[in-house]
Amino acid sequence: MRSHNSLAILTFVLMLAALYAIFIYAPTERTMGPIGEVQRIFYFHVSANWTTFLATFFVFLYSILFLMKGTREMDIRAAAAAELGTVFGAAGLISGTIWAKPVWGIWWTWDARLTSFFLLWLILIGYLMLRRVVDSPGQRAKLSAVFGILAAVDVPIVYMANRWWRTQHPAPVIAGGSGSGLDGQMALTLSITLVAFTVLYFYLWRMRCELERTGDTVEALQRQLQTQGLEVR
Amino acid sequence: MRYLFAAYTIIWVVLFAYVFSISRRQHKFHEEIARLEQLLENRRRP
Amino acid sequence: MNFLNQVGAILWKDILTEYRTKDVLTSMLLFGLLVILMFHFAFEPDSLETEKYGPGLLWMTFVFAGILGMNRAFAGERENDSLQGLMLAPVDWGAIFLGKMLANFLFMLITETIILLSFTLFFNFDLLPRLGWMVMITLLGTLGFASIGTILAAISMNTRMSDVMLPLMLLPVALPAVIGAVQATAAAFTDPPGEALTFWVRFLVVFNIIFVTLPLLLFEYVLEE
Repeated sequence: MRSHNSLAILTFVLMLAALYAIFIYAPTERTMGPIGEVQRIFYFHVSANWTTFLATFFVFLYSILFLMKGTREMDIRAAAAAELGTVFGAAGLISGTIWAKPVWGIWWTWDARLTSFFLLWLILIGYLMLRRVVDSPGQRAKLSAVFGILAAVDVPIVYMANRWWRTQHPAPVIAGGSGSGLDGQMALTLSITLVAFTVLYFYLWRMRCELERTGDTVEALQRQLQTQGLEVR
Repeated sequence: MRYLFAAYTIIWVVLFAYVFSISRRQHKFHEEIARLEQLLENRRRP
Repeated sequence: MNFLNQVGAILWKDILTEYRTKDVLTSMLLFGLLVILMFHFAFEPDSLETEKYGPGLLWMTFVFAGILGMNRAFAGERENDSLQGLMLAPVDWGAIFLGKMLANFLFMLITETIILLSFTLFFNFDLLPRLGWMVMITLLGTLGFASIGTILAAISMNTRMSDVMLPLMLLPVALPAVIGAVQATAAAFTDPPGEALTFWVRFLVVFNIIFVTLPLLLFEYVLEE
């Protein structure tokens, strides 16, 4: 399919550009001394996190659309988005800990952003688990859509609750989030990487949806054979 | 810088493992489809 | 039957069922007391630590007991397949939800009252001066929890591992209610309470508005065949 290939090529090119920007174009972080190079993790880490939020948004959107329209396609997209959110979330969490250790000397801290992000990741896993334990496909779609909506509305509230709580119980704040006064070149690098990840998300998302549709085809064929009285092993 | 390498490697491993698993499942599905269609064919003209 | 009557009927049915068997309340209560005992052995808090960790321990106990109760919420319906009957009757989805939710709310409140009194006894809480605040905080915290719990219990009732799925889904989504309740409780027990108290109470109110309305709207999709 021509459009499939162009998305693939676009993803490839953008990621290449991002890697170039990250490792060659972006300047080395000066304030951290000899371990300044470690800071380059930041670009991929923030982008992975951003993509997780993007995925969650699509889980929310397609859950609502499913409840409104009831089509399998909406369900497929929501479920695929949740899976991708889990994958990118894992990448974000792991890269975050690897970044934190050399820079702050700790693997983890319970600041508002990290805590809420970790919770979001757990919620996405919960969503996927829910889908696994419902046997009827119609119900699976409906129940996970309801949970998806509840969970998605909850996530920003969790973040805010955490933040307000943190203002009363201060803890080491992970500085250097997006928008903490980035050097121009670093900002550009981050932007390129964010775009690359976004496109990568859509590429993988489409792939995952395609897989699900193929699975549906297999099931349809199996049913067809069964109605014709053939044993399907 | 080992941490830098570790972080990028892990991200790459996670993403690649995922893509690979999708690709593998897709392949299995296609094989199954071919098999089932063959069975249906055989049924149509015994 | 108008809407409120429907809600009342369902609520009354659950209360009657419970009154006859007393299954849910006794298990919740017993569980709550056991948790208190375990906390004592796990932490052995002295009076300073009790002040610090008390609110958290209190609400964790409420949460665990609540989950236990919530699991039972639809278990009875499932065992007797009576949910079909309920759905066939000309009853509003919303009424079913509210009726069940209020029943859960009530059972949790009863359990929480006894657990709170036990906490006061076992950990020497100075409850009286802030009784009014504690009542309000408990009502607010429990309401949101019960509402989310009811719809999630309805969801997990349809799954294979229903007992496990409920807490898995409930804990993350109800987390803000727990945070708010714990913080408000802690503030209530500080002298002077300060703005934190009113802030978290208002937070709980907003949270409840969102998370009573939303499950109410979504409930019909859960029960539809």
